[in-house]
Amino acid sequence: MDGFVVQFVNGLKTTVLLALVSGALGMALGLLAAAGRLSRWRAVSAAVGFYTTIIRGVPELIIILLIYFGGTVAISAFFGRYVEVNAFLAGVVSLTVVFGAYTAEIFRGAVLSIPAGQIEAARSLGLHPWQTWLLVILPQMLRIALPALANQWISLVKETSLISIVGLTDIMRVAAIGAGSLRAPLTFYLAASALYLALTSLALVIFNLLERRFAVPGR
Amino acid sequence: MDIMLLLTSTVTLTGGIPLTLLLTFASLLAGFVLAVPLAFMRASPRKWLSLPVLAYTYVFRGTPLLVQLFIIYYGLGQVGAIRSSVLWVLLRDPFWCCLLAFSLNGAAYTTEIFRGGIQAVATGMIEAAQAVGMSPLQIKRRIIFPIAFRSVLPSYANEVISLVKATSLASTVTLLEITGLSRKLVSETFAPYEIFIAAGVLYLGLTFLLTGFFNVLEARLNAAPQARTHPRRVILRQVPHEQ
Amino acid sequence: MRAAKALSYPAFGVGEPAAEPGIRAERIEKRLGGNDVLRGVELIVRPGEILSILGSSGSGKSTLLRCLNLLTIPDRGDIWVHGEKLAIRAASQHGGPAGILDHRQVRRVRASMGMVFQNFNLWPHKTALENVTEGPVLVKGIRRGAAAELGRHYLAKVGLSDKADAYPRHLSGGQQQRVAIARALAMEPQVLLFDEPTSALDPELVGEVLRVMAALAGEGRTMVIVTHELAFAREVSTRAAFMHGGLIEEESPPQEFFSSPVSGRLRGFLASHR
Repeated sequence: MDGFVVQFVNGLKTTVLLALVSGALGMALGLLAAAGRLSRWRAVSAAVGFYTTIIRGVPELIIILLIYFGGTVAISAFFGRYVEVNAFLAGVVSLTVVFGAYTAEIFRGAVLSIPAGQIEAARSLGLHPWQTWLLVILPQMLRIALPALANQWISLVKETSLISIVGLTDIMRVAAIGAGSLRAPLTFYLAASALYLALTSLALVIFNLLERRFAVPGR
Repeated sequence: MDIMLLLTSTVTLTGGIPLTLLLTFASLLAGFVLAVPLAFMRASPRKWLSLPVLAYTYVFRGTPLLVQLFIIYYGLGQVGAIRSSVLWVLLRDPFWCCLLAFSLNGAAYTTEIFRGGIQAVATGMIEAAQAVGMSPLQIKRRIIFPIAFRSVLPSYANEVISLVKATSLASTVTLLEITGLSRKLVSETFAPYEIFIAAGVLYLGLTFLLTGFFNVLEARLNAAPQARTHPRRVILRQVPHEQ
Repeated sequence: MRAAKALSYPAFGVGEPAAEPGIRAERIEKRLGGNDVLRGVELIVRPGEILSILGSSGSGKSTLLRCLNLLTIPDRGDIWVHGEKLAIRAASQHGGPAGILDHRQVRRVRASMGMVFQNFNLWPHKTALENVTEGPVLVKGIRRGAAAELGRHYLAKVGLSDKADAYPRHLSGGQQQRVAIARALAMEPQVLLFDEPTSALDPELVGEVLRVMAALAGEGRTMVIVTHELAFAREVSTRAAFMHGGLIEEESPPQEFFSSPVSGRLRGFLASHR
């Protein structure tokens, strides 16, 4: 088991890095998608609606498998020989696509719950549309979206475990290797679940602090 | 992209639908049966009733379903007492392991959803039932739960749809439901696009059907109860983890 | 001087009362949210009596009414219903809450007392008829068919025959409160308790509820009514009580109560509600 402590630490780093990178990219994608969904251009709005509906109606595992194996086929065709896609990269891409779809809907809901009067007030002050977005809509929206975002981040941390299926050496994969080589699956998977529980609890604590920090008085 | 292959694999993959649906509905049923009493315990003001349930839901909602499934499928065999017990007949079978994992996981989320609904039932509804002399069990069964269930129906619908998607993990323990079948097919044909897209289309169809079903159910139940100004649409959403 | 001090009930004297009909509450105390809401109230409701309880908000009148069927459990004091003493555990000195000792007894007693709430409290997932029949079916074990007949009878009595299949949210406040009255009546209770039954209603809907209540009063039912409707109380009650500061300050037949009140506070109260 001793040798596995180091491996678990490395796996933990991979899991955290994967969650942070795909979470950050996914939120950026979600913001863009929400703006697109709310845009006046019907085609953009419909395209984004199509994207979020499809992604949320299909299992994450299918999306991961599609991107990993599909990517491998595409790159192999490009180079003319068999090239396996990096599992971390495939993980980042697929989790970003998934996270973006869910956060887009969260952001959209949050923007829609901002009273229209405030946007009108900003316009009447002569603010540019982009100033209105940046100074009035964005800060409030993030605050309103915070509880739902917390849930989504916690889901994301748990979903990173699925990337182990395509070979990423994260917490889950380390546990699987240890379980196989030492013939102690219960021990290793319990250790893995303790690590995941610690991570999701940490996320919960951080978001509770954020919510307290950015609480709207009287809401 | 080979359209013909896409079509033929869609047809082939429909062979996985019965198992996907069986896993979904069996764990849905088991999860519901577990969640109803647990939700009442969790909503109880008595700490010794609510805290153990909180511990259960916290752990099951705070760890990946994949780990839970592997603990049950691979891990429990490590315990000699389980290996030698009658239960081993079931627990060495991937189907029953999936069912157990999905039910326990689903029940954890469902418990918290129902708990929210139970705690939101207005005290006046309960007092009116007490005032006619109903017993605590009658009040829970006939008044609190029906009102709570209606109010959390959108969240419950989302949980059901999450469960459909979660059954794809059964493929990791060799079951040939939609995802398992598609992975097998891909390993034989090396055509991941067509086959995984076909699988995605099938899941999308299932989640759409369920969403439609819950929208109809909600409209039906809403024609009756609860003063709501506009019907809430069921949206596909991951189940919240709030405490 | 407190008028309540002068009140006694010579009909019963001291000690365990003999099996008597009606309700008797002695030395009821209740503390809620750091306030002494009830401070040793004495109350008797005799069969056939229509008792109105008046008082400004915070005087404890609703709490007293809720103590009678133990929706609120008094911290101290005894309650007899139809001669049967309710088994209550008093609150402890160190803040342990009061409790019900015999739940079966309490359910039986509650079933014998109909209660009508300020906010109607109809069950939103059941039709008007189902709201009325639920109690008879579940508590009294009456078969569904017979209960439906019973339910329709009482809905007709409150003038809502045509609303049997309507859900509460499709009914006006006045109609909801009349369904709630039918729900209480369907248990065929010996006493009806009304907790500010018209306070949550729009003014134009108050009349229809009061008319139903007046009709019930005319049938010689035993009723305890907590209300702000002075004219109604004067017209319908056989006795009126005025509560202040957790005690009954004055009680008398309505003629005296409204025409020649003794307590200055009651006089002030009546003047301000004219």
